[in-house]
Amino acid sequence: MAGPRRLAAGTILALAAATLPGAARAQVSETEVKAAFLPRFARYVTWPTYQRPAAGQPFMVCVVGADPFGSALDRAAAGQSVDGHRVAVRRINGGETGGCHIAFVQGSKTQPTGQLLAALDARPVLTVTDARAGAQRGIIHFAVVSGRVRFFIDEKEAARKSLGINSRLLALAVGVRPR
Amino acid sequence: MRTTLVLAAVSAATCVSTACPALAAEAVPAADLIPAAAAAADPNDLADLSIEQLADIPVTSASKRAEPLSAAPASLFVITAEDIEQSGALSLPGALRLAPNLDVQQADASQFAISARGFNGLQAGNKLLALIDGRSIYTPLASSIFWNLHQPMLEDIQQIEVISGPGGTLYGPNAVNGVISITTRDAQDTIGTLARGTVGTNSYTLAARHGFAIGTAGAVRIYGNWMTRNGLATPATGFDVDDDYTGFQAGFRADFGGEKDHVTLQGDLLKTDIDTGSGDGAKAHNLLGRWEHTLGPSASVQVQGYYDRFERKFNLAEDMVQTFDGEAQVNLASGRHELVAGAGVRTTDDEFINNLNIFQLVPTSRRLWVYNAFLQDRIALSGTLAVTAGVKVERSTFSGWQFLPNLRFAWQPTPEHLLWAAVSRAVRTPSRIDRQLQALPLLAPAPSFDSEKLTAFEIGYRGEPAKDFSLSLTAFANRYDDIRTTEFTGDPFPIMLRNGYRGWTWGVEAWGSAQVTRWWRAGFGLATLKKDLEIKEGRVDLARRNALGNDPKWQIRAHSHFDLAPRLELTLNGRAVGRIDMDPEIGGYAEVDGRLAYQANEAIELFVAGRNMLHQTHVEHNDPGATQLARRSFYAGARLRI
Repeated sequence: MAGPRRLAAGTILALAAATLPGAARAQVSETEVKAAFLPRFARYVTWPTYQRPAAGQPFMVCVVGADPFGSALDRAAAGQSVDGHRVAVRRINGGETGGCHIAFVQGSKTQPTGQLLAALDARPVLTVTDARAGAQRGIIHFAVVSGRVRFFIDEKEAARKSLGINSRLLALAVGVRPR
Repeated sequence: MRTTLVLAAVSAATCVSTACPALAAEAVPAADLIPAAAAAADPNDLADLSIEQLADIPVTSASKRAEPLSAAPASLFVITAEDIEQSGALSLPGALRLAPNLDVQQADASQFAISARGFNGLQAGNKLLALIDGRSIYTPLASSIFWNLHQPMLEDIQQIEVISGPGGTLYGPNAVNGVISITTRDAQDTIGTLARGTVGTNSYTLAARHGFAIGTAGAVRIYGNWMTRNGLATPATGFDVDDDYTGFQAGFRADFGGEKDHVTLQGDLLKTDIDTGSGDGAKAHNLLGRWEHTLGPSASVQVQGYYDRFERKFNLAEDMVQTFDGEAQVNLASGRHELVAGAGVRTTDDEFINNLNIFQLVPTSRRLWVYNAFLQDRIALSGTLAVTAGVKVERSTFSGWQFLPNLRFAWQPTPEHLLWAAVSRAVRTPSRIDRQLQALPLLAPAPSFDSEKLTAFEIGYRGEPAKDFSLSLTAFANRYDDIRTTEFTGDPFPIMLRNGYRGWTWGVEAWGSAQVTRWWRAGFGLATLKKDLEIKEGRVDLARRNALGNDPKWQIRAHSHFDLAPRLELTLNGRAVGRIDMDPEIGGYAEVDGRLAYQANEAIELFVAGRNMLHQTHVEHNDPGATQLARRSFYAGARLRI
């Protein structure tokens, strides 16, 4: 993504970072932030027991279809651990989506997002889509609102897939479709 | 307008040209693929943030690299919302200057001629299709696009795809030399309030939108966009045109979506006034509905319909076109195949009343029909090789069934590199002007005027040859036949429009973008064109090659975006355009546009911008009676987001 990949901190940035803890005032690319969100969703979602990773196994974040993240997602996942599980990233183009816990889904003109979503329909997978890529929505749908990365949450669809969504995540949504 | 076409063609041209009112006018070129991520926090630091903090980080938009490389094997340039904002463009033509594969020529304060791969001109420019959210803005009356009838709020635009070359099977009629597809944001992504105002040496603008959620799965936004633009100066030898321009466009978009369905309803209303005379200007409105439905993992359908109407008045001439369009598309995936099939029907009802001179459309008012159906299959031959074969059949009131196949190969050995090749056929169907313009005893209608035909051969590369460096290269050879001529048919009058030219054009298109340092992103663009079109044996063109357009042989773009400080950014877009050989010739020119923006706080952005900063005036276009001098201008503005 547009990511500032070589962000060795320059003087100005270092200063900015030093004076502004946490979210630096300086801007980050939209894609980097979306990539940072993806592995973190695992903390705020509960899967049915049979779908949870076994001990020592990672939570699997899958990118189904087009990959807008590149290495940003791998970097974002590398630092995360959820309930003692690592977070791993897999890219799937036409293959099996069996092991996925979270699936970022983005289609193309010839294979629309809706179709890729429908292929995941029966599984307890947290589907994530991006408004930038189209109108079809997964359970979480990224949108940029007032210059920030936010999302819509479809709690009804989550419930249908036996997923529970933590209220802390729901509170951040710009819109929630209730159960 | 309409008249312009032949008036010019017959060299009997007086003014009238401005009759093709058009709008707005700033200049904004450039070629950036990857909007710079602003001076930023190290993304590795993001790992330590809470989700609440993540959700509160101001972000720059996703980059071009976010565009899947696997996108269509075609010469495709994408202008993002961020590109548009950084450029300082205030109108659609201004934003389109960002595409290195387009030639944008400003004719006067409100009229622009825009084309890809040649044939540019207010009248000659009839081979480019443009769509706004799937609604064609190409008019069948004169086979052209009146850019001044389209004044969306640029902040609502999500992206503009610019394809040079035939649009393939998936776009509507007349996608011959290129397709511009403008998409606006989903209403669910424009919740909140945004306002923008600019004050400048040449124009003022004021725009605002408000978006709100409806229930849990829907949203609506409404917007208004007002602008006024001073008339431009007249070339020393030219014809003075009072081209001051004022207008507004307002509209709405509503989106409702669940997991299986998405419904969009949108509409716009436009009114503009041009200073040429009392009542001169345009009115337009449209309403579009679209339903996208997912049938299952391997099938989805989309149904769309729209109504569009515009009327324009200039001097003693008036025209009106009313369009109804309906189309449906099915996407199917099965094994190695990704199938797209669809069909559409469009009918237009027009009227042209000219009390200015003897040129008339006969009949004055007419209903036209266009039917088309298409089928395309993308077949993954292996993990890295895919072939796309498509065919569209099309029939219009003025032409029989046309068969328009295209064949494309894409080889993507690694995700970073895509090599592609394509052969395709496209046609420009006859317009009312081509067939039914009459000025007896001078000009007779041409009931036998046929479609203009193109067979295009293209090869290209798109990829990321190095980290943080994206590149696109395309070479094309176009074979045209039956391009319009104006010929004697009597002794010697009347004259008539016929299909007398054929020949080839060649060219290359290249662009790239690199993150040079953390704070500097640079891009370039290049397009060349060589035309070798000849009149068929024994024929004469009285219009002196007018229908072939007036095109520069080359144009170069250079783009730089600097993150000067965390809240301060500078964007410079330069362009150099080669000489246009014609009589009189238009010398080449080089110009720079720029914008300096300061994010005062989370809600307020302040900016100053300059258009055509290098010279007081320059000429971009030569249309008899229309051309005015493009001018240096500056403006200051503010944008408020709540």
